[in-house]
Amino acid sequence: MYKWFLAWRYLHTKLIAFFGVAAVSLCVAMVLVVLSVMGGFLDSVRTRSKGLFGDIVMANATLQGFPMYQEFTDYLLKELPDTVALSTPAINSYGVFRVPATTQTVPTRIMGICLDDYARVTEFGEGLHYERYYPGTTSLEKQQIPVAGHTASGKLELPKELEEANRQWRAAETNPKAIETFDELPYVTVAYPLTDGYSSERMFAEGLGEPGYRNKALPGAILGCDLVFYRNADGRFSRHLARGATVAVTLMPLSTTGNVGGEPPVKLLMRYSDDSHTGIFEVDSLQMYVDFQTLQHKLAMDPQERMDGTMTRARTNQLLIKLKEGVGLNEGKAAIQAAWMEFLVLNAGVLDAYDIRLLGSVRVSTWEDLQRDFIAAVEKEKVLVTSLFGLISMVAVVLVGCIFYMIVEKKTRDIGIVKALGGSARGVAALFVAYAGAVGIVGAILGVFLGCLFVWNVNDIQDLLAQLNPQLRIWSPDVYSFDKIPEVVKQADAVWVGVMAIVASMVGSLVPAILAARVWPVKALRYE
Amino acid sequence: MLKAHNIHKSYKMGPSELRVLRGVGLSAERGEFLVIMGSSGSGKSTLLHILGALDTPDQGSVEFGGRRLFDMPTSLREQFRNREVGFVFQFYHLLPELTVLENVLLPALVKHSFFSWFKNRSDTRRAAAKMLDRVGLLQRVKHRPAELSGGERQRVAIARALINSPSLLLADEPTGNLDASMGADILNLLTELNKDGQTVVMVTHDPVVAKRAHRVVSLHDGEIVEPEMVSSGLLPA
Repeated sequence: MYKWFLAWRYLHTKLIAFFGVAAVSLCVAMVLVVLSVMGGFLDSVRTRSKGLFGDIVMANATLQGFPMYQEFTDYLLKELPDTVALSTPAINSYGVFRVPATTQTVPTRIMGICLDDYARVTEFGEGLHYERYYPGTTSLEKQQIPVAGHTASGKLELPKELEEANRQWRAAETNPKAIETFDELPYVTVAYPLTDGYSSERMFAEGLGEPGYRNKALPGAILGCDLVFYRNADGRFSRHLARGATVAVTLMPLSTTGNVGGEPPVKLLMRYSDDSHTGIFEVDSLQMYVDFQTLQHKLAMDPQERMDGTMTRARTNQLLIKLKEGVGLNEGKAAIQAAWMEFLVLNAGVLDAYDIRLLGSVRVSTWEDLQRDFIAAVEKEKVLVTSLFGLISMVAVVLVGCIFYMIVEKKTRDIGIVKALGGSARGVAALFVAYAGAVGIVGAILGVFLGCLFVWNVNDIQDLLAQLNPQLRIWSPDVYSFDKIPEVVKQADAVWVGVMAIVASMVGSLVPAILAARVWPVKALRYE
Repeated sequence: MLKAHNIHKSYKMGPSELRVLRGVGLSAERGEFLVIMGSSGSGKSTLLHILGALDTPDQGSVEFGGRRLFDMPTSLREQFRNREVGFVFQFYHLLPELTVLENVLLPALVKHSFFSWFKNRSDTRRAAAKMLDRVGLLQRVKHRPAELSGGERQRVAIARALINSPSLLLADEPTGNLDASMGADILNLLTELNKDGQTVVMVTHDPVVAKRAHRVVSLHDGEIVEPEMVSSGLLPA
């Protein structure tokens, strides 16, 4: 019993033990922060990748795409009703994005989507800004500029559809803080016709007269939030375009063989309907979304007449497939792969040489397949960084060893007393190992607390540092893909790191404990 | 009860060897108050440590209750130190981090395992309180050794030595660090304990202290000398 009793008593009476506790705490906090951030980064890669692609992606890695996608979608839904929940085509191309009201031009990756289906197959809908506060108002259909105006009572209001949508959001929102934040940052209006120079969380045009819709109807566009807007130090985006502002993209249609058609580049004028925040910087800073059929038509991927009078087939770049609940990824992939081969065989007779070439290179992949190399690299990085910091933490073991050596030196007489009273050599060694274990336990608890506190607030800490000096922003979204540092601590990681710290402390005390066990009581009692 | 036969002990002092005990033999009966007297460096503390199995002799044997101490395995010798012997040292040797009560309880904490301690905790604490009452320190249980006088510390050390009700109390110059009045108090306490049946073996160089004993053996240069040699003045007392 004396081992536990003395270990506990030494723990809270010996100041030197607190240096050991501090060393263990800092090492635990350091390893936990690294493990949580890297682990969170890895989890984000997995979650966001799935959110971007859905479960299964069919693509042939060309810009000109592949035909028969609609026929295959119908075939899939008919043949694999228990496997496939939904399938939606998407077109990927490149262009030059422009805001006509400004001189802003940026290269962009333009994606043609069927908005409703795309939002059901992926998690795209969750990152739409205006759709959150004005549900049901984001559209890629032709639309005019929503203009705020004064009602008969003199109150400045948005068109009634938007006001009603906002009321619905308020009624459905379960988090009162979200409504509070919304009301703290009311929308800003800019004079119609639109002018530049303002920015806000939500920005609408304001005109004379009653609220309504103005100007020519153009197809809607959803912009990646980092494509045109800038992020403030507090992490919010400054939107300097009013909703409905005209944006443009210049495109380059390709033939089925991949040649530029020889025609001048195609210009597409659109209205800014919403902006998307997937959290993946390379997507948010590059991508914009337009209606699938509009883009297909502009890129000449819809049926076109050939020289011989026959028609080409409509093409897409990707087919995104959502599996039914409970269907495993690889199981779904295998079933779709088999269905694809059957489909090709069944339709071999109706395909021409170009179609066969494009269809022959279509691959069925899971979202994990598409991100495998990246995920593997991040996994390796996580192991590497954690190991490096773990090695650095070995300093704590050495420090605990030094501290306990000093304690044993200082406590030589006490060791002699305990031995004179019948304490065994093993008991004395156990006393010091238990003491180190107690230092480890307290250090681990404090370290886990510190680590959690740091990880949970890491983005706020970074924002604060960035406000003091922008150079202090250490997490660069364009390097790490995600715009926020992961801030989740896994319970298992905390337990694992804490237990390792306790074991390491006890290992660090072994040599001093053995030295204490070897103390000769008669000599120790004469020790002053 | 306690018999030492032909005890030899020497220490290495650099290249030379210091022979501290040279064939010492003595015995103590149950209930006896035995004093081992000798001048500084005569080997009396070393002899006391060997009698209490704190140290091992180079040659010779010690029997306690018919069992040879140095033929026992280490664990039994540790048990002997914990249960059969109580040590009182000149410099008290209390643990400064512990209170008076906790210092007294320490041998009992050594005796009990984690679980048996919780089973016997209240009885042991009662015994400690009784012991502290006997040495007149019941009102100081929560004090630290640094807050006590030398005499009080030595009384705590005596209470600690007796908590496991040992058969033998070994005292190494218990009054050596105290003034005359405090030393007399401690001697009175030891005498009272002996009257109650406690066997006491005490080491001292002070003849006044030795007068309290039933029997005195003198140690000179590591050897027991005859009482006549001391009384005749052939050897210093």
